[in-house]
Amino acid sequence: MLTVYVDFKSPAAYLAIAPTLELAERLNLSIDWKPFRAIEREVPKLGKEETVGESHRRVRADSQRALAVKYAAHQGIALKFPPKPGSADLALGVLAGIEGDPLPFIRGAFNAYWEAHADLDDMAVVHALLIESGVRFEGSLADARSVLEIAQDQAEEAGIVGVPAYVIEDQLFVGREHLPWIEELARNAATP
Amino acid sequence: MQVLQSDAPLIVYVDVKSPYAFVAIRPTLALERELGLKFDWRPLTLDIPSYLGSAEKKKGKVVSSKGRSPRTWNAIRYSYRDARRYAERQGLMLKGTEKIWDSRLPNIGILWVMQRAREKLGDYFEAVYPPFWRRELDIEDIAVVEACLQHAGVPSDGFAEYARGEGLALHDALQPQFHPHGIYGVPTYVLGDEILFGREHIPYLRWALSGRQGPPPDIAYELA
Repeated sequence: MLTVYVDFKSPAAYLAIAPTLELAERLNLSIDWKPFRAIEREVPKLGKEETVGESHRRVRADSQRALAVKYAAHQGIALKFPPKPGSADLALGVLAGIEGDPLPFIRGAFNAYWEAHADLDDMAVVHALLIESGVRFEGSLADARSVLEIAQDQAEEAGIVGVPAYVIEDQLFVGREHLPWIEELARNAATP
Repeated sequence: MQVLQSDAPLIVYVDVKSPYAFVAIRPTLALERELGLKFDWRPLTLDIPSYLGSAEKKKGKVVSSKGRSPRTWNAIRYSYRDARRYAERQGLMLKGTEKIWDSRLPNIGILWVMQRAREKLGDYFEAVYPPFWRRELDIEDIAVVEACLQHAGVPSDGFAEYARGEGLALHDALQPQFHPHGIYGVPTYVLGDEILFGREHIPYLRWALSGRQGPPPDIAYELA
């Protein structure tokens, strides 16, 4: 079993979906999907007078976006960042409450955010995603945000610091760049 | 020295005090050997307190900390744990540092080796990085850096003067160029007009430097 934490507004989590699913399929590995509210910030504007720290954060944010766009293109995705990072709290809370396979909802939520810049904190949007994905959700949309708070506390207790986060064989990895090691652990675990 | 320009096919920026750079050194040297190329290795001395706050530890306990939130601390702890496990896969030990070191001297040493004994660069990295990360080197002591040069088979006569003069000037001239050119951390790889932060880009670099055959690979930390 591989546990994977995602946030729909994270480009790194979005770009991790395809390689993660490919790995899971190759190894016949089941995935426990969990929500984690990551911090996504706007790229700071170039100030007239910047401190070194402010300049560092702006350059880092710019670079991370450029690299996300580049590797997205390798996956055939024309990644477009929304003008401002939105909230995905409601959809993430729903993810915590889905019974059965949440993958159709996860795909729908990622696509809605990244292709249409949909507001995943909006009841109507998230309700429509639930209907379209056909997943089983018997909780209440009104309670989803508080469900996320509980899930968030649990994730932070477990040491999650960002997404996509992977937990396998008691090891935590943040980022899809760790998939080779995750694969090795999964293969070793499957070997009698 | 222009920060993005080189006659080499790839520029690699590193800092001795960075755990990320530490675990990138051997894989990047291996890539260089594998492709039969000579990369242009250069120093980027990180100003860590400006973006991560600062802290000092004694006997493993934090005795002072400025500007670090609990979330920042968690991320830093994860980063060290992560770098440590990959270092261990390379047979290396990585102990968290007890203070933020001034790494200018060993970083100027990189420029010295590149100018005087390029073929010894890997030996110099081996003489500096692993013992520093075992907490065995005071990299702020010029005699220690000179000893590392000698251990690597690099002439050290004149290094002290270089580190105060020409080398320091070269090093200091690079530093203000980084942010305006989109570079903020190490390891950073400059491939033409592409700037790639992190050793996860090594599969892409291999693909790009060996003819761009087939689809480009995704980011990955290749296993030792």
